[in-house]
Amino acid sequence: MGFCRPLNKPSGFGKNFVRSTIMIRYKQFTLENGLKVFVHEDFSTPMAAVNILYNVGSRDEDEERTGFAHLFEHLMFGGSQHIPNYDIPVQNVGGENNAFTSPDITNYYITLPADNVETAFWLESDRMLSLSFDPNVLEVQRKVVIEEFKQRYLNQPYGDMWLKLRPLAYKEHPYRWATIGKDIEHIERATMDDVKDFFFRFYRPNNAILVVAGAITFEEVQKLAEKWFGNIPAGQPYVRNIPKEPVQTEARYLETSAAVPLNSIIKVFHMPGRYEEGFYAADLLSDVLGRGKSSRLYQKLLKERAIFNSINASVTSSLDPGLLLIKGNLNPGISLEEADRAVNEVLQELIDTGATEEEVTKVKNQSEASLAFSEVELLNRAMNLAFAANAGNVDWANQDADIIRDLTVNDLHQAAKNILRPENSSTLFYRVETKEPALV
Amino acid sequence: MQLDRSIAPDFKLISSINLPEAQTHTLENGILLHVINIGEQPVIRIECIFEAGNWYEKQIGASYFAIKMLSEGTSRLNSGEISEAFDRLGAFTEMMHTSDRIGIVVYCLSRFLPEVLPLVSQLIQHATIPEKELEELRNITLQNLKVNKEKNAYLATTEFRARLFGTEHPYGQSQDEDNIEQLSFDAIRQHYNQFIKNGRFTVVLAGQVEEADITLINDTLGKSQIGPHQAKPAFIVKSAYQGQEAVIEKPDAVQSSIRMGRVLFNRHHEDYFKMLVTNEILGGYFGSRLMKNIREEKGLTYGISSHVATLRNAGYFMIGTDVKKEFTELTIEEIKKEITKLQTERIGEEELTTVKNFMAGEFAGSLNTAFEVADRQKVLLLDSLPADFFNHYIDKIQAVTSEDVLEMANLYLKPEDMIVVIAGGK
Repeated sequence: MGFCRPLNKPSGFGKNFVRSTIMIRYKQFTLENGLKVFVHEDFSTPMAAVNILYNVGSRDEDEERTGFAHLFEHLMFGGSQHIPNYDIPVQNVGGENNAFTSPDITNYYITLPADNVETAFWLESDRMLSLSFDPNVLEVQRKVVIEEFKQRYLNQPYGDMWLKLRPLAYKEHPYRWATIGKDIEHIERATMDDVKDFFFRFYRPNNAILVVAGAITFEEVQKLAEKWFGNIPAGQPYVRNIPKEPVQTEARYLETSAAVPLNSIIKVFHMPGRYEEGFYAADLLSDVLGRGKSSRLYQKLLKERAIFNSINASVTSSLDPGLLLIKGNLNPGISLEEADRAVNEVLQELIDTGATEEEVTKVKNQSEASLAFSEVELLNRAMNLAFAANAGNVDWANQDADIIRDLTVNDLHQAAKNILRPENSSTLFYRVETKEPALV
Repeated sequence: MQLDRSIAPDFKLISSINLPEAQTHTLENGILLHVINIGEQPVIRIECIFEAGNWYEKQIGASYFAIKMLSEGTSRLNSGEISEAFDRLGAFTEMMHTSDRIGIVVYCLSRFLPEVLPLVSQLIQHATIPEKELEELRNITLQNLKVNKEKNAYLATTEFRARLFGTEHPYGQSQDEDNIEQLSFDAIRQHYNQFIKNGRFTVVLAGQVEEADITLINDTLGKSQIGPHQAKPAFIVKSAYQGQEAVIEKPDAVQSSIRMGRVLFNRHHEDYFKMLVTNEILGGYFGSRLMKNIREEKGLTYGISSHVATLRNAGYFMIGTDVKKEFTELTIEEIKKEITKLQTERIGEEELTTVKNFMAGEFAGSLNTAFEVADRQKVLLLDSLPADFFNHYIDKIQAVTSEDVLEMANLYLKPEDMIVVIAGGK
């Protein structure tokens, strides 16, 4: 039998200023097999959210077998050892479920009436115990993933942008391929042995985080977790050994063309990972540059000079060092080189003089509001706990608001100097492919 | 004790839900304010909704440009200053536009509502529609349209609605280069004056709301002069699409977007709930027959779904999917097979129960935040449905029988009554 070690740790005490985000309260315990469990009680809803995060993403893949973490996410719905169909029992108790794969993690979730939460424990524990490994499921999901690849990456204007950008920005780190895979052939070649290896390597209780949120007590979760997950054997601890991306020393450029309607520029810069020092300074820097219509790029390059007809900036928020991204579509008649120079001028100004006090106050308010809105949904609160716990410390889920609040004009100026340097940039020129001239 | 993992745990059926009511206030000028005060997070969404979508416009695009131009200049602030004023507070704005309605939506931290309200009032009362910004918006709209026209899904859906309702009907119209370029300043200005500046609107406030906020709203939005009720124009649906197939050839595309369906009805119709369940079985959820057959068994697509779409004055049924080009005809055949099956074979109790339970749970799970509750209340208030419409939702779903499903499929899902639109190729 397993053994629970409740920590009952309250969080969020000792803050004496008014804060606009509410702490996500939680309690936690760990099963003997290493499964970490977090409980966020909320009785204002009749629902519960069960979120299970596996510590495996496309960065953990072998270079010759990319796209596997994502293919696997599909296979997880193809039946488990004792339960032939995963979806019908969820639907039957009024629940909804889904999953996603990122370069860092694979995350599965169910929301359902809290009265029926045991169904989620039953299903999730059985597929953690073992999948059915039905060859037919592999064949069908292989095809589905290939169609997904076409629909999302090939059949959309600019859909292959990330397929081009990743290997430009990353030379060593596995972020250089997308979650869908580097080459769709890797998916076409996947064998059942590959599938089994992957499962028993990564889908073990000691490589997972379970978060249960909603109208359910901590004691009830303890009982159910013990009952359903307690006797799943632990696996070998997974020790991640990923090459670090070397510091970039010169600006990179790549040109591509496709049958897209408008020329486009995408520029990326290396920046800190999601929970690393300096992440939020970079995140807010991207907001100063390209969040909303009052941002610098929008005002200077779309409003004052009609170079772009859309432009924005964002960050990837990956666990290992990520990317700050600027993307804009050009107005007809403007050359890519001219637009690139114009973007670089805006960046240089930010490196030279930093953002103003007003700009920093603005982006701090925007971030605070985004955070507060994101925590309205129960499922998002559950996911925030799971992401932080997986990254190393569940309390990080509650520290974002304070970090943002404490940022200064100087922090953002430093971030601009460190990140927006030309030698830290990779630029993709996405050119309109001119078709055969029409007959006149 | 040995755990038997092959046996599902017991579960309870959701028998009812209770949609929290909106508190309704009448402002001094007669405008109605509906408040949904729910939630732990100190956030608010305020919406000002005008009955003034495409349905009411004199020139195609006037309603779209009128609402989008609100934030592009007022008698006091220019476009950049307006963005700056909202952004400074961390507030997000959205100028909402549909065939039926337009609106201003603002999301903000509750503590900034006192600063947001005068801005909203200024946009409604004092928009100037400056020429430079109008030309910019026209350009951006044209460029976006260009990008959209490269998307098969966009082309297929636009053509589908045009065929169903006819291009003279507001539900069949869409933006094109000509109507964007030809739209006059006067048409936009007139739409603004008639429907927004002096128009009657509804305010919906959701989130963490305090008493003082109500007073503030009255002081900012409750003082203006509101014009008389606007007469609703009438349109006739021209239905000559039945049995047709329209192909938009895209030689370079690897996939085809397929849309198949017909004009149907909206929430006011007596068969609405029966049809909702029938649709769910066919293509409404992940376990649906179309999904099982076309994705899970054949792997022809990443996704396929069907919808009962409801608009203010009509509704339609639509099946949609993206498939590899060479699977286009096979997919359409399989869709027809699934429809025939639904028309000829009585659905098993087990499957029907699963669908109904899923719908009940999904519905109960979609009422958890102030914004979700407000969205449901808006449907009731704006579409003039009975106040208890959603409280009976689960009963009505549970009451649907296998005979009802047969009847619905035979009445409303005949393939010969539908149109098929393909963007891509066969």
